[in-house]
Amino acid sequence: MKMKHVIVDLKGQAKSFFRIKSNIFWTIAFPLFLILVFGAIFSNMGDSTTTLYVQDLDEGPGSTAFLEALNQTEAIELKFIDADEDIDQYIKDNSLTCVMVIPSNFSEAFVANSTATVAIDMRLDDTVSTSSVVRNIVSAVVNNFNLGMSGGTEHIQVDSDSIVQEHFTYLDFFIPGIIGMTIMTTCVFGMQGTISRFRAAGIFRKLATTPMRPFEWLLSRMIWLLFISLLTLVVIMVFGMLAFGMNMTINPEALLLIVCGSAMFSALGMIIARFVKNEETASAAANAITFPMMFLSGTFFEMSMMPEYLQSVAQVLPLTYLSQGLRDAMVYDNMDGAYSNLLVVAIIAVIFVVVAVLVTKWEED
Amino acid sequence: MSETVIDVKGLVKNYGDLHAVQGVDLEVKAGEVYSILGPNGAGKTTTVEIMECLRLKTSGEVRILGLDIDKGQKEIRRRIGVLPQAFNAFDYLTVKENIDYFGDLFDKRISADGLIKAVQLEDKRNVWFVNLSGGLKQRVGVAISMVNDPEIIFLDEPTTGLDPKARREVWKVIQDLKAQNKTVILTTHYMEEAEVLSDRVAIMDGGRFIAMGTPRQIIDQYGAGSICVVKAPNDAATKGVKDSGMQYEITNGDLCVKLDDNRSLAKLVNLLSAGEASYGEMLVKGSTLEDVFLKLTGKKLAEREGQ
Repeated sequence: MKMKHVIVDLKGQAKSFFRIKSNIFWTIAFPLFLILVFGAIFSNMGDSTTTLYVQDLDEGPGSTAFLEALNQTEAIELKFIDADEDIDQYIKDNSLTCVMVIPSNFSEAFVANSTATVAIDMRLDDTVSTSSVVRNIVSAVVNNFNLGMSGGTEHIQVDSDSIVQEHFTYLDFFIPGIIGMTIMTTCVFGMQGTISRFRAAGIFRKLATTPMRPFEWLLSRMIWLLFISLLTLVVIMVFGMLAFGMNMTINPEALLLIVCGSAMFSALGMIIARFVKNEETASAAANAITFPMMFLSGTFFEMSMMPEYLQSVAQVLPLTYLSQGLRDAMVYDNMDGAYSNLLVVAIIAVIFVVVAVLVTKWEED
Repeated sequence: MSETVIDVKGLVKNYGDLHAVQGVDLEVKAGEVYSILGPNGAGKTTTVEIMECLRLKTSGEVRILGLDIDKGQKEIRRRIGVLPQAFNAFDYLTVKENIDYFGDLFDKRISADGLIKAVQLEDKRNVWFVNLSGGLKQRVGVAISMVNDPEIIFLDEPTTGLDPKARREVWKVIQDLKAQNKTVILTTHYMEEAEVLSDRVAIMDGGRFIAMGTPRQIIDQYGAGSICVVKAPNDAATKGVKDSGMQYEITNGDLCVKLDDNRSLAKLVNLLSAGEASYGEMLVKGSTLEDVFLKLTGKKLAEREGQ
């Protein structure tokens, strides 16, 4: 192998790359655009409260105390409906999904030694994910009230807290996913597009008549795509820190994940381009492979939000391990997780690169 | 006598059941411009791509610059230059950068500026390849094929898709190569191009060479001689030619009369001047390689007969 050939190709790529405006857009501007959009949508996620509409038909001391207790949870925002409104019609007219009706005899339950039982009327749309949250909170407050009224002592308390440290936001979760996704799209489409274009332009047939060997060319392309991946990483991180004050660190584990991820997806692009020779079909094939990965590998949302069968699918997608590894290394400081994901990414990268080198040739049979 | 730089014997290339090249023999001397002429699918590109070390042969012997193609590929690559069919260099590199890219891959190379001058692209030196016209792009391609100062240059259909003016610009570059005593292997499906540029021509069809020699030799051997085209003849003129026993055919209402010898033209003129015979105009055409190809393959003649 001659490094001179690799350097010649790297120089050519560098000049060409920065002269094509769409390259800058897709590798740098587009990820930033995604961060801006998702950042704007989800930047308050975690602090958000669920709205519960309340029609208080009692308006006595009991309902006041109960609503005050609900308010103190800070997990529910209460909005009030006039007592004289027809609640069914109101729900229909305003498309409400979480409504609580406090009956007019609610305060009677607070009279000493009362044996009366009152029922709070909950109208919840169970197709909405927040319904179960509201139900649980209301139930918890009701239990507390019941306990207090029966004179019981609370022996056991449950303190729940997020497993993610409090200062992490949705963007801290999201940005490593975006870095992983950008590495995937940059490398797969970069390699597949280049190979398809060069094949159509006769550049491979020309290169085959020079002393450059396919392995030298592949190495040069992979080095270049790694450089672009690192450049994207730096741009996204700087932007995330300046625009959203995100918490993230670069460490050797994250860098190794990026090196292996870039090699893995570059090789995948080569394999696609090798077996799908028509330029347009190859692009469609690359889309067909990367799009599901983008959405199923936990780039945008926690995988736990997906149905179990989709979570099983995600387990065989390479991007899952890259994104999760980057999160472990850069955000959660979970080095055991980072190493196990790195191992998976490295093994897939080696397999893909070996296959790509074996199937890539310039001369025809 | 010039040395033989390409020696091909019994070359065969099969793709499964498709017999792309069927036993081709070829000998090219140093300094020749040798054209392989034929329609699309004739097997020209497959033949030259085997010589360029781009394809593996099925059987036969191929020696380039005295080196066996199976053993000396590395050395052959170093000593030949190739302009592949439909080649486009890197769109967003300039003319000079493209030449330097390919030149820097070789240990021995010619300077980009020398090549730019040779293909007369001095004023386009710093223009991106993507912004060049088709003819200029092909001139860049020829320059790139010369970058390692090759002893043989293969130009695979260098003028396909170009307009007549651009085609002639590329011809000029090829004629300059010949003036430098370079050996050039040119594949084309333009008969005129082969006739104008080549020292020798091989006409290929269906994976075989069906005629070889200098353009003049081929025309003399296979051509139909000269033809006199008599435009808009009346019935008397047509009857006169028919009764004379001269060979003729009628194409689009014109009489195409074969002139067998020097006296044939005078005889025809006398016939058309006699009695009530009249015609629009008369012109004499010599045979071309195109006529030879039509005669040897019969393809267009068959179409005409079918109309």
